[in-house]
Amino acid sequence: MTDIAEQEVIDIADMDVEAFNEFATEQGWSDGMPLFVPTEAKVAKFVDTVRGDNRPYSPVPPRQIVPTIQAMAANAVMAGCKPEYFPVVTAALRSVLEPDFNLHGTLATTHSCAPMVMISGPIRKELNVNCGSNCFGQGWQANATIGRALGLMLLNIAGAKPGEMDRSTQGNPAKFTFCFGENEEENPWTPYHVQRGFKPTDNVVTVMSGEGPHNLNDHGSTTGDGLLTTFAGGMATPGANTVYGKGPSFIIIGPEHAATLKRDGFTIETIREELWQRSRIHISRVSKGNLDTYASTGHKPDGDYLRIGRTPQDLHITVAGGPGKHSAFIPSFGGTMVACTRIQ
Amino acid sequence: MRIVNPTFGLSAAAGETVALKPINWATDAIALMSNSKPNARELLEGVRAKLSAFRNVDNIVYHSKNSASQAAPKDQIEKVAANFRGALLALGD
Repeated sequence: MTDIAEQEVIDIADMDVEAFNEFATEQGWSDGMPLFVPTEAKVAKFVDTVRGDNRPYSPVPPRQIVPTIQAMAANAVMAGCKPEYFPVVTAALRSVLEPDFNLHGTLATTHSCAPMVMISGPIRKELNVNCGSNCFGQGWQANATIGRALGLMLLNIAGAKPGEMDRSTQGNPAKFTFCFGENEEENPWTPYHVQRGFKPTDNVVTVMSGEGPHNLNDHGSTTGDGLLTTFAGGMATPGANTVYGKGPSFIIIGPEHAATLKRDGFTIETIREELWQRSRIHISRVSKGNLDTYASTGHKPDGDYLRIGRTPQDLHITVAGGPGKHSAFIPSFGGTMVACTRIQ
Repeated sequence: MRIVNPTFGLSAAAGETVALKPINWATDAIALMSNSKPNARELLEGVRAKLSAFRNVDNIVYHSKNSASQAAPKDQIEKVAANFRGALLALGD
């Protein structure tokens, strides 16, 4: 087979969508779901949406090639994006290329992590990004395809092929797509991107290499204090990388839980501090072998407890979702950071 | 039909050319580098034991990254490069 990796535009025989998918699968371009055909004409429409953004991209590990806008757009087309989604997709790629995000490590690891993409700002409404009921789930083109486009870029540009450079033991359904919007309208505190120093009117993409959302169900507690007991219990998981990797985690609070916490006087800062204190893991819940391994790499217990991060600031908090008594905990890969990029 | 190749990219700027000096595995200083995952150290201990069959091992020194999930710090790589003629890496998991 000709090495077509060296050609940006390829002439192939005319074929229908089914035949193209067979071809694309043979090339190793597919995530297993049907792809749209990245014709030159379609790609050009996407490229038009980012004209004027001339900031260079750094080489993408592990393949260490500098992506072209056309190749990035080809992945967004294949994912099923609309052209107007593309500035969000490129911002997501810029975010994962932040050095402390550790893209190489998050792609090559045996851990199950996938790139979580959270969208903030007015663009959520313009693009119809789901921030409410079922925001982590199916049914919205923007959520489904923006996350998928990033995944395809990591497969095709970064070279993270499952079983080869992507060494994940079991993977994670979030590797297909993991994109949602903040529910800023029902957030009684400060939206996440504003916590990070952006203006409320800025459009921002936030990424973290995380596991899928872990549900935090609490129908019974009628106080903020009770909710935090439930949240902390759900977060204190000895099997998470964050126990020894000491990286960030997200707590995505559902609007009804957020209203209760707000009513009882909790702020983002006090929630973070309380969860930090209460989510410690007693060493009786951790095997001796694991304790020895953690200690050998410098992660010793704090007294009789292990922490799930380095400081309370490793706990990132915002609001998303719709009606119901559920929130979510998203632990990270560990050796990574939460990166934000303003959408141009 | 003409399509855009989703894998296309430009090669990053070429790195510095490094002049490799020959190494004498029987005498030169060697760094044994662990990726800090379980069993990497055990693997290196086995290598060191094998080497001891035919050479002095006083100048064979263990090193490890400070994080299993992140690349070794640049200053650590430079220190190893400055002080050892060879390095053997072990990837445990």
